[in-house]
Amino acid sequence: MQAQTRNRQWPWVAIVLSLAVAFTLSMVSPADSVQGDLVRIMYVHVPAAWLAYLAFFVTFVGSVGYLITKDLRWDRIAAASAEIGVYFTGLAIALGMIWAKPTWGVWWTWDARLTLTAIMFFVYLGYLALRRTTDDPVVRAGRSSVLGVLGALQIPLVHFSVVWWRTLHQPPSLVRPDGPAIQDPLMLTALTVGVLAFTVVYGSLMVKRIELIKLDDRKVAIEQSIERPVAGEAVTVPDLGASS
Amino acid sequence: MTTGFWHQAAAVVHRDLLRERRRGDVLWITIPFGAIALLLVPLAVGTDAILLRQIGPGMYWVIVMLFGVLVSVGKASNETLPQQDASALLGLDPASGFVGRATSATLLLLIFEMVVGVVAVGLYDISIIGIPWLIVTLIIVAIGLALLGTLTGSIVNSTSAGTALVPLLVAPLSVPLLLGATQSYEGLRLGHSILSWVLLMVAVVLIVAIIGVLTARPLQEM
Repeated sequence: MQAQTRNRQWPWVAIVLSLAVAFTLSMVSPADSVQGDLVRIMYVHVPAAWLAYLAFFVTFVGSVGYLITKDLRWDRIAAASAEIGVYFTGLAIALGMIWAKPTWGVWWTWDARLTLTAIMFFVYLGYLALRRTTDDPVVRAGRSSVLGVLGALQIPLVHFSVVWWRTLHQPPSLVRPDGPAIQDPLMLTALTVGVLAFTVVYGSLMVKRIELIKLDDRKVAIEQSIERPVAGEAVTVPDLGASS
Repeated sequence: MTTGFWHQAAAVVHRDLLRERRRGDVLWITIPFGAIALLLVPLAVGTDAILLRQIGPGMYWVIVMLFGVLVSVGKASNETLPQQDASALLGLDPASGFVGRATSATLLLLIFEMVVGVVAVGLYDISIIGIPWLIVTLIIVAIGLALLGTLTGSIVNSTSAGTALVPLLVAPLSVPLLLGATQSYEGLRLGHSILSWVLLMVAVVLIVAIIGVLTARPLQEM
């Protein structure tokens, strides 16, 4: 019983601990010479964007896995990851807008990275909407896995948009062929720890969400197995006294 | 793919076009709806001729994307479950069914593009430049939209949301086609090469076609 409780609690402990470390580091890191304290938004914005890519890539892997094996475990991974991905894409967009207003003077600009990220957000919102159209786990998995593969076409387009087009958005901060763009070691550490902390959050949420989807599938299966009275069963043939 | 495959696909095209001739969904509903949309835009943004000439090509492609979805989805989701079962029992290859539905949607989309295009040229005074490339762009966009609509139509077919969900799925996925089409026109206007945009659209078309053919059977079996 105690071990079970421990198992249930570790994801939350991991989330709190990793976020606490990331938050502390982002607060002690120096302010930027140009942006000032606004730069601290980056410590959440960049990890949230990273999680969005990671989550949607896992959705792609889960979808391909399901299409090949027909094993529902792959579908649960894909679905859980898409939900987390949509949440963190929304967070990345919202934080980007908060940062953009004082920096660029507008909440939104028609920059390739921003626009494509918003489009990616809607693709996966559609994926989640599609999953809500049926309760049958097998039908749901089959349909959504095709969309999971199709939607993944957007991921490289979003990531490389800042390289392929001339955009207002900064090029990648960490993953670059010539090394990270950030020179200050404390800022780089804070950002790297932030990315790792968010990855822990992702892993923990995935464990919990997959567990929930499994329980939900079981609930639907139980509901479907319960025998219910057939419509019209209460209606009986009227006795018109023909026998007498 | 055998001769039987193409024969079956041709039979599906014939059936869809016959159904369209009888019902006239595209001809009498979608095309007038698209034309009305082109008529409404100037009322909202202003009737300045220079402004309309500038936004005309973009508006035309947006209308093609949004209303084109209705054309391709209509063809994909017209089949009821008993009809699908009958097709399966008759031995219709799901992949050839997909190709057939996408082909008939392409043909109807081309008609839609041409009629709405004439309306757009008339209303917005759009200059027609680089006709051979323009025709190539129109054909690729029609094929791409038809494939996307047919594929997503198959995905949502017989779900509780039905066709209401399709525009949400197709609109974001058709962005590379919209970008390719609008940038191609801009490139032609400025005298630049539009090969890279055409290749982008062709790549999208090929990827969606491959996914559609490969997933036709699993989607039909659900």
